Amino acid sequence: MPLKINNVRKVFPNKKEVDHVVIKGFSAEIEEGEFVSLIGPSGCGKTTMLSMVGGFQQTTDGLIALDDVEIDGPSVERGYVFQNYALFPWMNVGRNITYSLRMQGMPKEQRDVRLKELLEMAYLTGHEKKFPIQLSGGMQQRVAVLRALASHPRILLLDEPLGAVDFQMREILQNELASLVQKAGTTVMMVTHDVSEAVFLSDRVLVMQSNGGELLADVKIDLPRPRDRSSDQFKTYNNDLTDLLRKAFNYSKE
Amino acid sequence: MERILRKFPKPSKGTLMFFGGLAVAFVVWHFASLHIDQAIRLPNFVTTMQAFFTNWTNSWVMENLGITLWRVLRGVGYASLIGLPLGMFMGYSKTIRQAISPLMNSIRQIPIMAWVPMAILWFGLGEGPTLFIIFMSAVFPLMINTLSGVMNIDPNYISAAKSMGASTLKIFVTIILPGAFPSFLTGLRMAVGLGWMSVICAEFIATSSGFGFLLIQAQIQFRTADLWSLMIMAAVTGYFIDRILLLVERSLTSWRFKDAAEN
Repeated sequence: MPLKINNVRKVFPNKKEVDHVVIKGFSAEIEEGEFVSLIGPSGCGKTTMLSMVGGFQQTTDGLIALDDVEIDGPSVERGYVFQNYALFPWMNVGRNITYSLRMQGMPKEQRDVRLKELLEMAYLTGHEKKFPIQLSGGMQQRVAVLRALASHPRILLLDEPLGAVDFQMREILQNELASLVQKAGTTVMMVTHDVSEAVFLSDRVLVMQSNGGELLADVKIDLPRPRDRSSDQFKTYNNDLTDLLRKAFNYSKE
Repeated sequence: MERILRKFPKPSKGTLMFFGGLAVAFVVWHFASLHIDQAIRLPNFVTTMQAFFTNWTNSWVMENLGITLWRVLRGVGYASLIGLPLGMFMGYSKTIRQAISPLMNSIRQIPIMAWVPMAILWFGLGEGPTLFIIFMSAVFPLMINTLSGVMNIDPNYISAAKSMGASTLKIFVTIILPGAFPSFLTGLRMAVGLGWMSVICAEFIATSSGFGFLLIQAQIQFRTADLWSLMIMAAVTGYFIDRILLLVERSLTSWRFKDAAEN
């Protein structure tokens, strides 16, 4: 079992007032090769959760383990795609993608082979000399995913990868992301606030509660891929999850 | 006639306005100098222009201009050696920033010319005080711009680098340095500009060579047309240094621009 989150609590200490409890207790498991989305109302702590899996923040209590090894800081085992992609603007596409390989000290010949393979996977061959500013939003997203995949991570962590994309582009980029992730065959944990995005991409959707981020529902999306957004089943999942999300929001008001 | 005119590219409105404004200023100057008719106070426009153009081929003028530019280069060089690392450390560590910021912000309130008497006491007359004045005017823009360059680096870049296995040293070399570089170059451009402006004043007092010394000589000898032409030279030189540095800045950080050559 690649990822195990066991009763994680996250508290931000506050000297003047009461400590801010972001996550009261969250448990989940992600199987090998699964695509799991984390949805919930804003402020439910889903990004904090992902960031702890990434190793950027520490848990207050509880345990997060990848392949039964406790997570302690960031690592190439967990490829992270940031909401704003965080591509290094002074490096061209090729150097961005091979960054982790260079940090690992991989020889240039091997790096070039891997780069070629990755560029082909995302239809970016010929763009490796471009700088991030010269790319469209969709291309930037693919570069960010490739960069996170370069060192064959055990799991890919996506923090609202389409959060900044406008509505018309979203579906196109969702298709691209779906095919890219499928080709790579990696386990994925994604944070999003968009229900249909979660249904379109995920094998399983975890709904977090608004206040304290406890797990409200764990919904398996049993639809063939590639998914048809206009199918009745898709719409049913979409409606059910939207209801759950509303419930997650109301829960906090009670 | 029309056919000949058409061969020339049409100048932009900005260019036309620039030359128009300049022409108006020159006409006003010309007639004012004829009206006032005191060459010591307001030199004749034509005489001044003659002096201006001959100065560029005058070896004595050019030698002193060279001396001053060489001082600016060295002064800014020393300022970079101190300002770049200090700015880096201050951007990197809040503790260092807290320790240095108040001191830095107090010292830089001292008008640059107020350092001249002190500089002469420390270094005597000659190269020392002029270099020191350039250093003092250049070091703060360098520090502040480098500091803000480091502080404005997206924290996600650092997180991303960490998640890709970069060590602290590698993060410094591959993220912090290139990330702060554009801001450092902006600081450098400001530093050279301020250095160029202040060195001339320092040269009035502290040395017997350099561009500022030429200005004082022209004043003492009542060569007002020469004085004016030297002042225009100072403006033109400053302008072109700034343009050149701007070009250097753009070409060294071409990744910031959409029309960058693929690299």
